[in-house]
Amino acid sequence: MSLKTARILAAAYHLLMLYFVTWPGILPFAKAEPLILGLPFTMAWIAGWIAGSVIVLTLLDRVEKRFRVVEGGDD
Amino acid sequence: MEQWVVVTIVITLYLALTLTIGLLAGRRQTDSVAGYVAADRSFGLLVMYFVTGASVFSAFAFLGGPGWAYSRGAAAFYILAYGALGMAPFYWIGPKVASLGRKHGFVTQAQLITGRFPSRNLSGLIALLSLIAFVPYVTLQMRGAGIVIEAVTDGNVPIWLGSAVAYGIVIAYVLSAGAMAVGWTNTFQGIFMVLIAWSLGLYLPHALYGGIGEMFTQIIAERPELLAPPGLTASGEPWSWGAYSTFILVSAVGLMMWPHLFMKAFTAKDDDTLRRTVILFPTFQLFLIPVFLIGFSGVLFPGSPPSSDFILPFMILETELPALVVGLFCAGALSASMSTGDALLHASASVVVEDGVQQFVDLNEHTQRRLMQGLVLLTGAIAYIFAQDPDSSLVLLLASAYGIIAQFAPPVVAALYWKRATTTGVIAGLIAGAATAFFFWQSPELKPFDMHEGIVGLMVHIPVLIGVSLATPPQSQLHLERFFD
Repeated sequence: MSLKTARILAAAYHLLMLYFVTWPGILPFAKAEPLILGLPFTMAWIAGWIAGSVIVLTLLDRVEKRFRVVEGGDD
Repeated sequence: MEQWVVVTIVITLYLALTLTIGLLAGRRQTDSVAGYVAADRSFGLLVMYFVTGASVFSAFAFLGGPGWAYSRGAAAFYILAYGALGMAPFYWIGPKVASLGRKHGFVTQAQLITGRFPSRNLSGLIALLSLIAFVPYVTLQMRGAGIVIEAVTDGNVPIWLGSAVAYGIVIAYVLSAGAMAVGWTNTFQGIFMVLIAWSLGLYLPHALYGGIGEMFTQIIAERPELLAPPGLTASGEPWSWGAYSTFILVSAVGLMMWPHLFMKAFTAKDDDTLRRTVILFPTFQLFLIPVFLIGFSGVLFPGSPPSSDFILPFMILETELPALVVGLFCAGALSASMSTGDALLHASASVVVEDGVQQFVDLNEHTQRRLMQGLVLLTGAIAYIFAQDPDSSLVLLLASAYGIIAQFAPPVVAALYWKRATTTGVIAGLIAGAATAFFFWQSPELKPFDMHEGIVGLMVHIPVLIGVSLATPPQSQLHLERFFD
């Protein structure tokens, strides 16, 4: 994957996250039930997006590092 | 021995340990301004991770978070949502800021902004706005420390004395050692907080309700309105989506603009350390889950604390745990307060001297350091006076401060990414945005769609910045080349 694609995908993930945790994107998921792993639905929904953020940023860092090694600089 | 005596002994030992770590850490850094403010740019991943996490998760998360879950239910989820959103952009901004810092010798946020937009007045304005935002934030931490100590000692140590002792210690090590002390005490306190939060957050629902799912099933049956998003207001009415969404937005925009967090970009050893910290940061965010569980476990519990911010110490005391365990839990909550308070005091003094005073009077390094130390004391004293007000809510104190701090985002973004931005444009935008936020904070009934005043401020700020920049002559090519490679 190219560096640019990886960055766009990571940014897109966080924009989607913003949409889905605030109004109006959150509306279909704004409910207490069903409980997920014992947590109210909305709470689990937001926690899921946070966990996704760790994964997306980790993958992005892998791609970035490959390119930094090629360029040989730290910027 | 009475329980509160054992608890007090445990807390005293804990405070002594924190003080020792803080004082020892200071022996490892040089006696310069770069040493005091940026710890000689030497922090590795472990320290950076906990410094960032521990300074974000403060009494706000540890006491205010459970307080909101307990009294306002689903409204508390806003606190969960904004952290990851606010931190992610720093993956790109952070290393860029760090490289400019190394190149031009910047140690504060205002130096970065005025490096691009040279103006003493702009620097002074940023210093002033930072200070205004810092005072409620420090106040919140001190009140938090006082609340914990008063609650666990059965009122034998009142808030005024508890907050004075806890912050006396913080001030002692911030004065003597600066950034290095803040780094090492936060590492220690961060580890402590995570352990405490998870063990208590999982223990309480099981002990009281037989499980987390069980607890929520019972809450849904008895208080369905509490868990229906976006939760309740302080008076128990349903909260609005406008407020819920803009609270997330303003906190996400403002999060990394806090000078004490922004300055982390200058303390990191290298860019990889900084990026790794950003990636790991959301793991700290998940630590809010057990913290909320502590608050929710109080909902159906008989009896209630004097105010919702007391729910965490209240639950600890009501569940009849051994005194030693209670002491350790309270030390965890104190850590949360102190680990943010120290970073705040340190940053506010650095900012006021470097970006405010130093712009107008020329001081040598030694005098600068002395003046910073004096300001740590002064800010501490002002916040201490405000902390005695019994009517303040911990979460609302911070949410108001965010209205100001979010106004730093457009200047930072413009400095780093928009070549056409001008000094006049940035100053005009900052004044317009801050004035708007202040106006709607004063007159909340006028806010459109119940939006957070900081977001209304940004809606005025950004067009003014762009409009005035385009109406004024662009910066010289030579100046821009120094900033953009």
